[in-house]
Amino acid sequence: MKFLDQAPRFLFFTGKGGVGKTSIACASALELARLNKRVLLVSTDPASNVGQVFGISIGNQITNVAEVPNLSALEIDPQAAAQAYRDRIVGPVRGVLPESVVKGIEEQLSGACTTEIAAFDEFTGLLTDGALTQEFDHIIFDTAPTGHTIRMLQLPGAWSGFLEDGKGDASCLGPLAGLEKQRTQYKAAVDALADPLKTRLVLVARAQAATLNEAVRTHGELAGTGLSKQYLVINGVFPESEAVHDPLAQAIFKREQAVLAHLPKALCDLPTDQIALKAFNLFGLAALKQLLDTESTVLAMPDVPLVVPKINAPNLASLVDEIALDGHGLVMLMGKGGVGKTTLAAAVAVELATRGFPVHLTTSDPAAHLMETLHGTLEHLTVSRIDPHEATEQYRAQVLASKGAKLDAAGRAVLEEDLRSPCTEEIAVFQAFSRVIREAGKKFVVMDTAPTGHTLLLLDATGAYHRDIVRQMGGSGRHFTTPMMQLQDPKQTKVLIVTLAETTPVLEAANLQTDLRRAGIEPWAWVINNTVAATAVTSPLLKARAHNELREIEAVATRHASRYALVPILKDEPIGVQRLQFLSKQGA
Amino acid sequence: MKKVQVFDPALCCSSGVCGTELDQALVTFSADVDWAQQNGLQIERFNLAQQPMAFAENAAVKGMLERSGEAALPITLVDGEVAFAGRYPTRDDLGRWLGAVASASELPAADPQAAPSGKCCSGGACC
Repeated sequence: MKFLDQAPRFLFFTGKGGVGKTSIACASALELARLNKRVLLVSTDPASNVGQVFGISIGNQITNVAEVPNLSALEIDPQAAAQAYRDRIVGPVRGVLPESVVKGIEEQLSGACTTEIAAFDEFTGLLTDGALTQEFDHIIFDTAPTGHTIRMLQLPGAWSGFLEDGKGDASCLGPLAGLEKQRTQYKAAVDALADPLKTRLVLVARAQAATLNEAVRTHGELAGTGLSKQYLVINGVFPESEAVHDPLAQAIFKREQAVLAHLPKALCDLPTDQIALKAFNLFGLAALKQLLDTESTVLAMPDVPLVVPKINAPNLASLVDEIALDGHGLVMLMGKGGVGKTTLAAAVAVELATRGFPVHLTTSDPAAHLMETLHGTLEHLTVSRIDPHEATEQYRAQVLASKGAKLDAAGRAVLEEDLRSPCTEEIAVFQAFSRVIREAGKKFVVMDTAPTGHTLLLLDATGAYHRDIVRQMGGSGRHFTTPMMQLQDPKQTKVLIVTLAETTPVLEAANLQTDLRRAGIEPWAWVINNTVAATAVTSPLLKARAHNELREIEAVATRHASRYALVPILKDEPIGVQRLQFLSKQGA
Repeated sequence: MKKVQVFDPALCCSSGVCGTELDQALVTFSADVDWAQQNGLQIERFNLAQQPMAFAENAAVKGMLERSGEAALPITLVDGEVAFAGRYPTRDDLGRWLGAVASASELPAADPQAAPSGKCCSGGACC
């Protein structure tokens, strides 16, 4: 593997959720540890599952992985880091300032940026703590989803520039003010990231356009921040030897090879590795050790029953029948990136529109070409997009034009600088989001939401707004509805959790469900996408996967979901009205 | 030269860009503070959400908070004495405190909207 050849001290794995960053980061850690390097594996993903992968409990401290000499691991939990930060700020004034004032401070510190910055703060220590890094030859970061990562990495650049200017009070660094004793650490962290001898970035993708486009974006944005040493790994490539076995296997192989033959220009010059799709789930040490082993596909083939029964389960159309009964409402498809939320959102919208209901389909996926192909092709269906980047730019421009209108040049510069804060995107997306969901009182609004961590931040912003409105209207007795209340009402909002029939995605979806319940939102149904088990296959590799899927489907059906649907993997990519309708009606 | 201290409510950031609704008074005041500093005024801001100890340790501010709660904020102290509570000073006010450096009439016109703000950073928790 090129990306592990002469590995520097810091290795970052980044990519769209679901491409296998965690597995590859874990496998890389094992490989380097096997070569007698002392390795620390760090997960900064809000939905971290490194512990699950190794079958041990890790948490927010460096923990030896007992079964692997030379390997330690650490999970940075952003929520816990934020709580610790809040305690540090609020603790000393509790009982000193009036109770209502203390509550106000806590509320202010309960939002997205506190979490972001507190997590970053912990992460910075690993890049700069001399004593700590001396204990390890390599520190491997399994980073959060891409947008998140970029922001984390861009921050220190902005901060350093800012700190050098020394205009400590004017700018919107938010909670950074409480962390100022570590100014030199941030500077050192930036330097380490920009040093190609110390830092290597590995872009992880699949042989799918969406994940490669994400890699292109990340490549450009991170190269712009000085992180220039980049490698590409294409994970889960369907092996040619399997393509002869059945039509589905052949279709998948051809589709992937076509994508690989036309890699985006920006990625062509990067040192690139391919990792073949494995028949086994990447769980536990034995499986992980084989991930980077190019010979292992055949060796690792588990006992596969000769015939995997094609299972019968409800299809997507049957879920839509039930959704349609209400005549209007918000339908949100949630789940990790890469599980197919956008496709399924489009399929649900098409089903509702063909039943004669007015439908507004909206996506926050920046690479949602699928949605664009639907635009204007079906009566009753309108399509729109919330592009987080665009929404942020528009919001900035709008603020500068309105609130900044009367400022002089210097004043505008101060405001412009503040609008570059990490909070701005959250607010901009939140505003775009709440504009759309208001329509759900009259028609159906179908949304594919951003990946998990981001989604939760978004909801948190909605929650903050909710609390604010309640406070402002407290005691007035007036009737009001906030976006959060709308999300919590199952009559108005149906959350569909989308997952794949694989161990990690199901675990992640279950975690998402727990998080949603904590926010008072009860998911209405689960949809298991891209299942091989729902189709007839003959390829041994696909049969092995179908067999593995059965256990996961069972877990969803009996333990996690109150209702669910299976969506099969298709020979043809589900683009366009007809194929989407076909997708919804398969099975059952 | 006067020493000015401004005790902000719990803000994500001092310009208020982080709230769900941006407060014009905060935007204007941030610009005014920047201007005053450029002109040499010694002015310091404390954010309740970031430096609550500064509020607890200042007797005048702590007293106001005990009597009036968070509604007393922002509080402006000039040489330790409460000059404003519940609203931000205007650019004229800042100009006056600049005193010896320049007289207010020679300074660029103040923003007429800069005055009463009521509650700041109405956006609640963004950070």
